[in-house]
Amino acid sequence: MGYRIALVGNPNTGKTTLFNRLSGARAKTSNFPGTTTAARIGRAMLANGAAPVEAEIVDLPGLYRLGLSTPESTICREVLAGQGLYHKPDAVVVVVDACNLTRNLVLVGELLAYDEPVVVALNMVDLAQRRGLTLDAAALSREIGCPVVPIVARRGEAVDRLSSIVADVLKRGGAHTPLGLDGDQALEAWADKAVAASVTGIGSGGDSLTQRLDEAFTHPILGILVFAGVMGGMFWTLFALAQLPMDLIEAVFAQLGAWVYTTLPAGAVRDLTADGIIGGIAGTAVFLPQICLLFFLISLLEDTGYLARAAFVMDRLLCRFGLPGHAFVPLLSSHACALPGIMATRLIPDRRDRLATILVAPLMSCSARLPVYVFLTSMLFVGQPLYAAVAFAGCYLLGALSALVSAAVLRRTLVKGTARPMVLELPSYKVPSFTNALISARDQGFAFLKTAGTIIMAISVVMWWLSAYPTAGAAPRAVALQQRAAATADQAAAKALLAEADAVQARAQQQQSFAGRLGRLAQPVFAPLGYDWQLTVGVLTSFLAREVFVSTMSVLLGGSDDPDLADTGVIARIRGATRDDGSLLFTPATSASALVFFVLAMQCTSTLAVTRQETGSMKWAGIQLAYMSALAYAAALITYQGLRAAGIS
Amino acid sequence: MHSAELATEDCALLRALGLTDRCLLRVCKAGEPCIVEVKATRIGLSRTLARGVFVVPEATA
Repeated sequence: MGYRIALVGNPNTGKTTLFNRLSGARAKTSNFPGTTTAARIGRAMLANGAAPVEAEIVDLPGLYRLGLSTPESTICREVLAGQGLYHKPDAVVVVVDACNLTRNLVLVGELLAYDEPVVVALNMVDLAQRRGLTLDAAALSREIGCPVVPIVARRGEAVDRLSSIVADVLKRGGAHTPLGLDGDQALEAWADKAVAASVTGIGSGGDSLTQRLDEAFTHPILGILVFAGVMGGMFWTLFALAQLPMDLIEAVFAQLGAWVYTTLPAGAVRDLTADGIIGGIAGTAVFLPQICLLFFLISLLEDTGYLARAAFVMDRLLCRFGLPGHAFVPLLSSHACALPGIMATRLIPDRRDRLATILVAPLMSCSARLPVYVFLTSMLFVGQPLYAAVAFAGCYLLGALSALVSAAVLRRTLVKGTARPMVLELPSYKVPSFTNALISARDQGFAFLKTAGTIIMAISVVMWWLSAYPTAGAAPRAVALQQRAAATADQAAAKALLAEADAVQARAQQQQSFAGRLGRLAQPVFAPLGYDWQLTVGVLTSFLAREVFVSTMSVLLGGSDDPDLADTGVIARIRGATRDDGSLLFTPATSASALVFFVLAMQCTSTLAVTRQETGSMKWAGIQLAYMSALAYAAALITYQGLRAAGIS
Repeated sequence: MHSAELATEDCALLRALGLTDRCLLRVCKAGEPCIVEVKATRIGLSRTLARGVFVVPEATA
């Protein structure tokens, strides 16, 4: 069995940068057993003369003290003790911020209480020098009784020397004598003594630029303006840059589906492969560029040091609704997709704060809602692009406001309590690392594909089966149209007749299918919202994944499963679609009601699965589904009935 | 400096961040958030938390 190294350190000490330097891009991310805390594990060849040593590096979560009752501290203690499913490491590398030695050394003192050998990586020595500190690594090493290696992880300076010393320690093996210090005060005194013996000069936490930036970024008015500008820029970048790769992914999967259609013989296997499997994978993969780009940008912002300041700006607003400032990154991420948003709540230290954030995160308008918003606003405001744009923006606002109000209600009922007051270390401002951001984007992308891909694909297969079976016989009107097409000599007319025959047959199939029957059965429940059985089918199928709504409606009403609504023929057919009594289906009141319903409803089984995973209980996933469905139904009912009462039907 | 009227977990976190008993700190910004500098680290505290920390000017400490 190879060597195993635990990488430990305070947050913002450059631990991830060192981990990436040591293990390159070969690291994999998983969870610590039995927890939702992410663990990154990499392999490194530690240079040691002619005989390099191979070791597995476990990047433990950043923590301030081992003794705290936080999940990070608990995991670290268990790993160091080799408890449960954890293997005891052969050595511990602790990354220490040279600018803030006393506090970091307290953690070193706690680590030295275990019997694993410890090596201190004294990082950011360049910054410490710029701040007027002179560090004597040899004196520090003598004082604390373990090797100390000054490094600049960001530039890779002295990382080879560090790996060589770690390799030496591993080869020598054996346990060291644990440091016997009792209590916080003894540890703090030990750290102060070590600093006094090895550091000269008076460091400062920041220069006048840091001071001015902090004042601006946390200012009650200027801070909000900067925040709005940064977030606006980020979203613009997100939507502008992600569009091209999203279109490309859609085109590739469309080609693949077409190839399957032309290659495989007609039948259930062909339809399942093209519509169920390829369609399902495409439905997930299309969001990948947005997810990766979002996390790339968030990682860059976090690296600059701005996000910690932004958390305080948002804390002023969020704490009024019972949410902590930490919740803003998860809520922001949920605008791309609720899955990474919910996973990002791991950053929130308090469990009840975290639970409240998880419960409301899916109310933020995610990418999957975009095509639905485009579709319904175009139904609602025909030829009025300005009104459609206002309605579109209103959907985002409605989602965000509902999330805040729901949080306030939840904090007074199911998740009682107020948000824990914020305390955060404000890291130094610095130029962000593109490598770290790329690795973060890759890791989050894989996590999204793994979690969502499997679930959405399974749902798509089920959806395909529900709408494809039982098979309807040939519809008499479709047969008649086909006969007319065969009889006519005009090629264009024949083509149009065949297309109409296909539309009629597709509609007959939907009516006869299990999905269609379910729609008819459930229609009385949705009748007060203005929905007929066709719209009910669209809404019900969307409870599995909301993005299928547009394709379901285009199959049901447009006679085509082409999701590209730029085809004006399909849009016109849907707009002119009628109910069984011949009246128009998409009236303004019905469209507005459906729009409100889609803004607020929990229509994503993947999100429910992630909520269950992150809260450790089906109960909270059930509560999320129940309260969001009730909220969506009530709001859609009020919208529909209110508009009708106002004379808009 | 000593803490008062704060939850045990908040006290423990403040201590871990370097805000220990009788430590020397510099107030960089008062208000919401309150930014203090302790041993070369800048720490942001929400107003609620800052109100629970008792500080005396260095000259009278």
